[in-house]
Amino acid sequence: MSIPSSSPERESATGVQLECPSSPPGLDADPPSTGSPVLSPDSSSHDAVLSAPAASPADSENLSPDELELLAKLEEQNRLLEADSKSMRSMSGSRRNSGSSLVSSSSASSNLSHLEEDTWILWGRIVNEWEEWRRKKDKLLKELIRKGIPHHFRAIVWQLLGNATDMPVKNQYSELLKMSSPCEKLIRRDIARTYPEHEFFKGQDSLGQEVLFNVMKAYSLVDREVGYCQGSAFIVGLLLMQMPEEEAFCVFVRLMQEYRLRELFKPSMAELGLCIYQFEYLLQEQLPELNVHFRSQSFHTSMYASSWFLTLFLTFLPLPVATRIFDIFMYEGLEIIFRVGLAILQYNQTDLIQLDMEGMSQHFQKVIPHQFDSCPDKLILRAYQVKYNPKRMKKLEKEYTTIKNKEMEEQIEIKRLRTENRLLKQRIETLEKGQVTRAQEAEENYVIKRELAVVRQQCNTASESLEKAQETIRELQQQTYTEQFVNNLQTQLEQSRLREAELLGALKEMQDKVLDLEKRSSCLPDENNLAALQEEVKQMKLRELETLRSFREMQDTVTDLNQRWQHHMSRSSSTGGGGGHWKESPKKNAMNELQDKLMTVRLREAQAQAELREVKLKALQLDSQNQIHSKLIGRHEQERSALQDRLQMVANQNKALQAQLNEMKRKQAESDCKSKEEVMAVRLREADSMAVMAELRQKIAELEIQKEEGLIKGQLNHSDSRQYISQLRDQIAELKNEVRQLRGQKAAPSSRIGCGGGSTNYQDLHLASPTSAEGDYLSSDEDLLNSPLPATALYPTLSDPCHPSTQLDSEGSTDSEAEERVQTHPDPQQLYSNMCLPFV
Amino acid sequence: METIWLYQFRLIVIGDSTVGKSCLIRRFTEGRFAQVSDPTVGVDFFSRLVEIEPGKRIKLQIWDTAGQERFRSITRAYYRNSVGGLLLFDITNRRSFQNVHNWLEEARSHVQPHSIVFLLVGHKCDLEAQRQVTQHEAEKLAGAYGMRYVETSARDAINVEKAFVDLTREIFELVRSGDIQIQDGWEGVKSGFVPNMVHSSEEVTKGSRQCFC
Repeated sequence: MSIPSSSPERESATGVQLECPSSPPGLDADPPSTGSPVLSPDSSSHDAVLSAPAASPADSENLSPDELELLAKLEEQNRLLEADSKSMRSMSGSRRNSGSSLVSSSSASSNLSHLEEDTWILWGRIVNEWEEWRRKKDKLLKELIRKGIPHHFRAIVWQLLGNATDMPVKNQYSELLKMSSPCEKLIRRDIARTYPEHEFFKGQDSLGQEVLFNVMKAYSLVDREVGYCQGSAFIVGLLLMQMPEEEAFCVFVRLMQEYRLRELFKPSMAELGLCIYQFEYLLQEQLPELNVHFRSQSFHTSMYASSWFLTLFLTFLPLPVATRIFDIFMYEGLEIIFRVGLAILQYNQTDLIQLDMEGMSQHFQKVIPHQFDSCPDKLILRAYQVKYNPKRMKKLEKEYTTIKNKEMEEQIEIKRLRTENRLLKQRIETLEKGQVTRAQEAEENYVIKRELAVVRQQCNTASESLEKAQETIRELQQQTYTEQFVNNLQTQLEQSRLREAELLGALKEMQDKVLDLEKRSSCLPDENNLAALQEEVKQMKLRELETLRSFREMQDTVTDLNQRWQHHMSRSSSTGGGGGHWKESPKKNAMNELQDKLMTVRLREAQAQAELREVKLKALQLDSQNQIHSKLIGRHEQERSALQDRLQMVANQNKALQAQLNEMKRKQAESDCKSKEEVMAVRLREADSMAVMAELRQKIAELEIQKEEGLIKGQLNHSDSRQYISQLRDQIAELKNEVRQLRGQKAAPSSRIGCGGGSTNYQDLHLASPTSAEGDYLSSDEDLLNSPLPATALYPTLSDPCHPSTQLDSEGSTDSEAEERVQTHPDPQQLYSNMCLPFV
Repeated sequence: METIWLYQFRLIVIGDSTVGKSCLIRRFTEGRFAQVSDPTVGVDFFSRLVEIEPGKRIKLQIWDTAGQERFRSITRAYYRNSVGGLLLFDITNRRSFQNVHNWLEEARSHVQPHSIVFLLVGHKCDLEAQRQVTQHEAEKLAGAYGMRYVETSARDAINVEKAFVDLTREIFELVRSGDIQIQDGWEGVKSGFVPNMVHSSEEVTKGSRQCFC
């Protein structure tokens, strides 16, 4: 552990050395970091110094000899310290937040101080000549950063790397803290969960939690779109371990804007998807076997890698290691996350391939985080051996966006198809419903058609029968009567007689039927049926009458024939008597005669029989008429009884209404009485209130008197002239009058009852008034004569002519008069005595 | 080398941020309670064996998801391969209860036309004094969605075991009755390594998984 104390660097770097005091915490060129060094848990700066610069030294081609020398020296020292470092790491390279501070580790290995000094000198120079380094020695700077930024320089170097030294948003910070953010609640809930074991953030009201909340809130206000995203607090927490809140806020804003973090934390988290896609590509390309294994176990990349990207390994690796990665991230961006991620997988490939899902998950949770505790440089070295092609990554980005767009379109299409499907299903349902109704309609239709066919058939038969009937009518019309037909009358007569007999039989039958029907109709209560039967009866009668007429006609023809026959007989007898009868035997003649007689008798008999029948018929007819009439009478009787019932009902109703009417009348009378009583009561109350009013008026008057008295008193107190006093005396006299008057008024109710008592009251008043007042009273007489009695208006209740106080009233009415009087009468002594009077 | 188990079920645990998803799972899988734990960034994975009947063991693979809404772009990929899920809300945080519907919608829209057997869990029931959601209304809501409801506490280890075992039993019954079927390319249910049992072989051959929603 020998470091040449007389290093050429020492002289050349004296300028820088000036600002490197022996006590490391106070050394920093950047004031912001002063508050934090003790908080730092990591010892990475030592690691950086100790680690071998295995990464390609080709970067240092164009370096100045000083720097090359410095680098070489650093490497050498690292090598020398390699063995020694192990003992130290056992203390410092612990689990994250283990609390091993820079101070403790440095004191543990005091022999490193020279090297430390050198590093600080170098970084001090870098910080001072930042712009120049950025321009000319960028590669060396990169190399140095990869080896780790010394803890005390982190604050300023991160700010410089992030170009966050002069940001306008810094001035807004204090304003932002006064505002309230919609994410506040969520932030507050996560604050306690951010580095909960770290000294700086431990405890509910620790400074760390306070500033962390402030920065998160301020950012959520600056960038409303992103607001607050879980995971980002770890990044801010790391910044706060190194620098004050304003600076941390600025660096965080830069990280979000310039380092793709904003895209990562946006609500859609599309960038995370892209990162995972790109990472999967690298995995497939560089670790194909592991990729296949992951796929077969359905071990998704997002299961382990999403937190890598979102928290930049801060929640995955111990803080010292993660801080080293963060140093590089500040310079190189997200690329380092891909590199480190792949390096981790590569390192663990053989283990992982043998494990199943759970095993791998356990491995990721328990084993991997602590693999590099003691040698972060190994991880970083491995990370830089990973092939990473930025162009390829760009291409992948394009691919991913097209895939995403396609997916989105597909999603939209799927949604569209789903809705379409739903609509079609609905349509099918409605159509199915429609089919059912249609089937019902078809059935109904069929029934109706059948009915229609039946009706048509009926119609055909009806028209056929109609045609037949018309034919018979025509046939009947064609029938004519001839002379020859008369000759056949005899035979027809026989036939007609027979028919007549038959008709009579039928008639009888019909009449029987009629009777029967009438009986039945009387049994049936149906009015319609009865009416129909009556109609039938009428028709029957008509037919009967017709048959009777034809019967008479027939009789007429019979008599006609009889006459003709007799005529013929007489002719034949006269001819026979004239010629032939002579020759014939008398026996034959008698026979003929007898035959003729028989014929006539028979004819007569028939005639008589016909007449008899006719008479019988008439009798029957009369009988039926009689029956009909008796029925009618019965019906009328019924109607009459019904009407009587109704009459009775109406009479009852009438009675009830009458009773109601009486009741109403009674009620009305009652209410009349009541209203009268009320009117009386109101009048009484009115009278009462009138009395009250009178009293009140009296009181008013009294009060006025008192007021005037008071006024006068006042005047008395203030004036010294006699004249004024005399005036007052006058006034008092008047007031006395008023008092009297009012006394009289008090007596008014009693005086109202009897007007006669008024005079005594008046006298009483006069008696009560002292003699000294009389002069005053008289002195104002002239004034009184001029005044036109306005008191009546003031005291209307006193206008009663019987009341004696009206006169007094008029005297003391107006204030102006009283004042006039006061001016003419001095003598305050008297006045004073008068004044006392009303109160006696 | 494998522990003998009848089936392997994949469960997903969802619910608003800070309702205690990770704590509940850790209590169940590790038997301990951490006062504070990192917010879940993305998805975490856990597993445990449960014995639902003597001799009948089920392996549970449990996905712990990030609660913050923007993480759904990551978490939604895990719904499809889950057969069941615990939907957590915090009984001291009414908002998380009101969001139960949204979570169900989210899950439903990503597993269509299949569905996930959910158990509604009212978490942090040890904080009775700060309760903002009554057991009755939670039971009513669970009933409306055809879920069962249980109140748990990871801190006091109340009903933690019961919640997971009940859900496992429910899924097991559905698998046994054939309502849920094992299917190639779907990781929700897998048949286990059962040396001396004829039992599961019949179900394995049943063919494609049907929609049971």
